[in-house]
Amino acid sequence: MDEFEKRLKDDAGNIDVGPSQELRQRIDATLRSTKRIEPVPESRSAGVRLWWASSLTGLAAAVLLVVLINWSIPEQDASPVEPVTARTVPPLMHELQGMSPPRLIRTAEFTTPLEEELARLQADIEKARAMVRKDVEFTF
Amino acid sequence: MESDEKLVEQALAGSELAFSELVDRYQERLLRFLMTRCRSRADAEDAVQDTFISAYRYLYSFDARWRFSTWIYRIAIRNAARQSQRQLPAVEVPGDESTGDPLEVCIVNSLSENVWLAAKRTLSSEAYTAMWLRYVEDLSIKEIARALDRTASWTKVTLLRSRRKLSVQLDDGEAAEMKREQYGRV
Repeated sequence: MDEFEKRLKDDAGNIDVGPSQELRQRIDATLRSTKRIEPVPESRSAGVRLWWASSLTGLAAAVLLVVLINWSIPEQDASPVEPVTARTVPPLMHELQGMSPPRLIRTAEFTTPLEEELARLQADIEKARAMVRKDVEFTF
Repeated sequence: MESDEKLVEQALAGSELAFSELVDRYQERLLRFLMTRCRSRADAEDAVQDTFISAYRYLYSFDARWRFSTWIYRIAIRNAARQSQRQLPAVEVPGDESTGDPLEVCIVNSLSENVWLAAKRTLSSEAYTAMWLRYVEDLSIKEIARALDRTASWTKVTLLRSRRKLSVQLDDGEAAEMKREQYGRV
């Protein structure tokens, strides 16, 4: 240690901060009410981190999916849709499309064959049921 | 006498007496150091208190590869920096003699100017701290670098420059002569 270093050390010793009993009491009082933080075990913290990572990834995927779905719906609406009637309605009906009220007429005419078909089916069922009943009566 | 690091081990195992012993050992040293960094004695005492509370709370994070003094000074430096960032106006108490630099009030045997007063005037805050840790606390270059969050080479250069600057400032012929002998030039 040279002279300069010795002087630095001596002069530091000449800084007299005085008795600090009050400070000591303050420190002791604060330490009594202070809780030490315990380290979190590594495995548990790793598990928690994994849980957070997977949760956030799932959440992000869900948000992305919702955004994509909402994004694609207006595109579907905007795309030109071929009218159903173009394929199902006979050529004659196209001439009637300009007449008012075209939609109601078209609907009625479109459903009429189905109603007739239904009536025929019901008649067939009734016939079959009558035949079964006859057979049963004949047997017993 | 048990080492600081052994006392930390005991404190971690739940011994309050061990931590109390550490407070005994470092309270005055930290107060003396922080008096040179803070604007008033009250600020320095607050910083000492905060330092011990932080050390107690985060005792588990103490790395036994380093000395306890390095760790506690690191905390103290941060607390002092936080204190200075608050920048509250100093409160003057009537009749309180401790106005002005709190360091001046504490200096005894003032036949010649205290080197640390000159150092406070001349050096930057970090250079001053590096000098203090080296020549008062006897910390190694590596430990000072860690306490200041700097590299070892920065610490070496800073110490050398600070020492040179301080010698010139003090106009201490003897110290300047010693330095010339050691480094060959001023």
